[in-house]
Amino acid sequence: MKRLQLQRWSSSVLSPRARTGGRLQQHLYYSLRRQSTASPALQVESEQLVDESSLNSSIPSSHIRQQPKYILPSPPVEAARESAKLAALHARLYLPSRLPLETLARALVDPSADSNSNFNNESLATLGHDLLTYYTSEHLLCTYPRLPLTVIFAAMYAYVGPKTLATMTREWGVEMAAVPGGEVDPGLLQFQRVAPGTDLDAEPVSNTTRPNDSRMSWRKSMTSRIVYDNEFGDPSKAPVEPSQQPTPGAQSTQGVTAEQASATFVRAVMGSIYLHAGRPAAKRFFEQHFLSRHLNISDLFNFSQPARDLSRLCARENFEPPVAKIISETGRKSRHPVFVVGIYSGQDKLGEGAGASLLEARSRAAVAALKGWYLYSPLNVRVPSSMEDEGAAAWKPVHVDLGEVIV
Amino acid sequence: MARRSSDGSWKLFENPTENRKLGTITTAATMRPSIRLLNLEVSSLQSSRTLYVCSVCRQETPPHPLLARQFLRHASNSGPLTERMRRKIWGTDNPPGMKDPYGESVLEKRFRKNPPKEQEEQPVETAQAVEAAVEAENEVVPEDIPVGEAYEPATTWEGLSRVGHLGRWSDLPASETNRYESFTIKKKLTKKGHLALAAHQAAVELCLMESLNKPLTSICEVVEHDKAVFKLLWGCKIQPNAKWGEALVYPDQETKDALVYIFEQIGSASETAVADEPAEAVEESAEASELNEDAVVELESNSPAPHFFGYADVRDKGYLSLPLNDLDTKFAFLKRFSQLSGHFFPDPTIHSISTVAQTVEYVQSVVDPKPTKLADYLSGNQKLQNTSNVKVFTKRQKRSDKDEELGRKKVIEAELRERGFIE
Repeated sequence: MKRLQLQRWSSSVLSPRARTGGRLQQHLYYSLRRQSTASPALQVESEQLVDESSLNSSIPSSHIRQQPKYILPSPPVEAARESAKLAALHARLYLPSRLPLETLARALVDPSADSNSNFNNESLATLGHDLLTYYTSEHLLCTYPRLPLTVIFAAMYAYVGPKTLATMTREWGVEMAAVPGGEVDPGLLQFQRVAPGTDLDAEPVSNTTRPNDSRMSWRKSMTSRIVYDNEFGDPSKAPVEPSQQPTPGAQSTQGVTAEQASATFVRAVMGSIYLHAGRPAAKRFFEQHFLSRHLNISDLFNFSQPARDLSRLCARENFEPPVAKIISETGRKSRHPVFVVGIYSGQDKLGEGAGASLLEARSRAAVAALKGWYLYSPLNVRVPSSMEDEGAAAWKPVHVDLGEVIV
Repeated sequence: MARRSSDGSWKLFENPTENRKLGTITTAATMRPSIRLLNLEVSSLQSSRTLYVCSVCRQETPPHPLLARQFLRHASNSGPLTERMRRKIWGTDNPPGMKDPYGESVLEKRFRKNPPKEQEEQPVETAQAVEAAVEAENEVVPEDIPVGEAYEPATTWEGLSRVGHLGRWSDLPASETNRYESFTIKKKLTKKGHLALAAHQAAVELCLMESLNKPLTSICEVVEHDKAVFKLLWGCKIQPNAKWGEALVYPDQETKDALVYIFEQIGSASETAVADEPAEAVEESAEASELNEDAVVELESNSPAPHFFGYADVRDKGYLSLPLNDLDTKFAFLKRFSQLSGHFFPDPTIHSISTVAQTVEYVQSVVDPKPTKLADYLSGNQKLQNTSNVKVFTKRQKRSDKDEELGRKKVIEAELRERGFIE
């Protein structure tokens, strides 16, 4: 695949406020949007916190007109150079110098704060999200080729899930603005908060990509999640057709949780690094900030019937049927006996476990054997994206496993 | 006040009543301490009746009240105490002998001589009056001088003793000797280029004087050079890290001859000669006629001319490295530089200065002092300005600023406005 000229691409992602005409467009757009109300600056929070009718009558519009920055829903582009917080964040993350402060400022504006896609981080976050999930999944699949799908989903969630990204945002020292607006410091994460007291799980997820999603009682198989659901195995929202998409002028801001906004921000940072500094920098950023996080994958397993799974596995792999043997025991008649059981397939010991009873020890041994199988990791792991490097060695096919045992 | 005399009788040194009377009249007059003390004594006693005195103090005022009461009693009428004692001794109202057998004291005579009216007119007793009193003391003064008969009111100022200042310097008209000429220029130099020019000029001059073996400080006699001379001096360069006598580099031989000729005049001849001669030396210059003026005269007619004839800066930087280790040279240089720049050097600074560069640095640090306020210092700090993750605010950041930065100020204001707390 030929490399793309990223710099040419990135100009389309760069904020149009920096270009000529952008400001005019912005003004036109906002005058359209706000012409019905007398209080444009306070509109944003009035949707959420303040009773709108009382506001409209009480606030003189001349007061607002004196401070043009109040009119903007997010900080202007010029403010990015003024903000010490933004520069500090840029330096703290050791971001490449080709990534301008303006883009970092844009990555901090959530779509809920500024619904104009020219100024929010939606496009960057989409790109970043795809990159993150791609790099993570290829890393997982190549490093642990035999992982069960549930574990892969869990590992994906642990590496690049929204909770992890929110934690990273906190660790990076990104502070959140109380209410978005043009006067807010660009170094703060800006998003429209969910109104306090809202029950986030009140209504089930609807309008997903899955067919028959209204039928709640239908079983969702693990295999169907690969097809229908997102990379974490959760139901994903169906894409909305552009004609049905709410126009920017409409009152569409619902508010997002801080976790969602933080996740969007991290994804947008990833996307902006990819756009401005290129793929090597993005991969380096991914390795330094995501893969470096320690995740014990063996903790993610949850077997209900490990002995049965193991026997099925052995049958599938044409091993001899597993046999549990007591390796040693102590205090059988005492209050705390300990049995050490090994599971053997022919002459090979697949696993070993210790437990207070023979059954417990056997199932532990089976779990150990299964984990030993599933957590196989080849030496010298290469991921497919490494082929994009300059002068990369010829690709040697990685190990592809049959997959988990389906009982 | 009262002391037992050798003959066993009580004798007062001073006449209390008369003294009191005198004291009340000539309040501000210069008195002997004894009289003044007595006066105080009496007045404090009189006032003690009306004023509050605490019981402890009243107890602790020992024998004075007794004496004072005696005074008070006698103070009521008729003559001094000695007179009354004489009357008592002789048993008649007109006792024989001298009226005051112990004689009058010098002071009493003096005060009696000045009539009370005159004293009121002259509350401040001048030195002349004292002299007059002393002279009058030596004369034999008749007891009752008929002052009223000799008195004639004056109609003109003639013949009257002068009232007011008595020949103080500040009241005299200005004379030639009172004229003050500042050693330095009238206004201190502040511009960096001007300071450099002053230092350069001083260095060049001292180099010249040194090479001519003339007394170094005599250059200060010439406060300001003529423009042509200054131009020559300005054109001279100084070799860095050289001795004072050999450091000067002339642009050409002509300049050297002219400058040597001019500076030959300075130490030896009078100032007029100094200024006269350059006319011949620099005759090719157009301003030759102006050179006839004395340098000092030129300064007197000092119109607001630009410093250093409009020159902004020096071309040569070699003078900065000249050493000031020799004390004479250092003194001469600092003196000349002070004269040219208007800045003086405190002793510790003089002690620490060892090169010309340090001198210029010191004056510049005086001219541009470090800001005393931390905020000024920070806002002027170029290093901080260039650091993007540091923001220096020009005004104090308050909670409302923080609110605005976080975006909640508009919410707060909207709430307040809704409740009618703010307009």
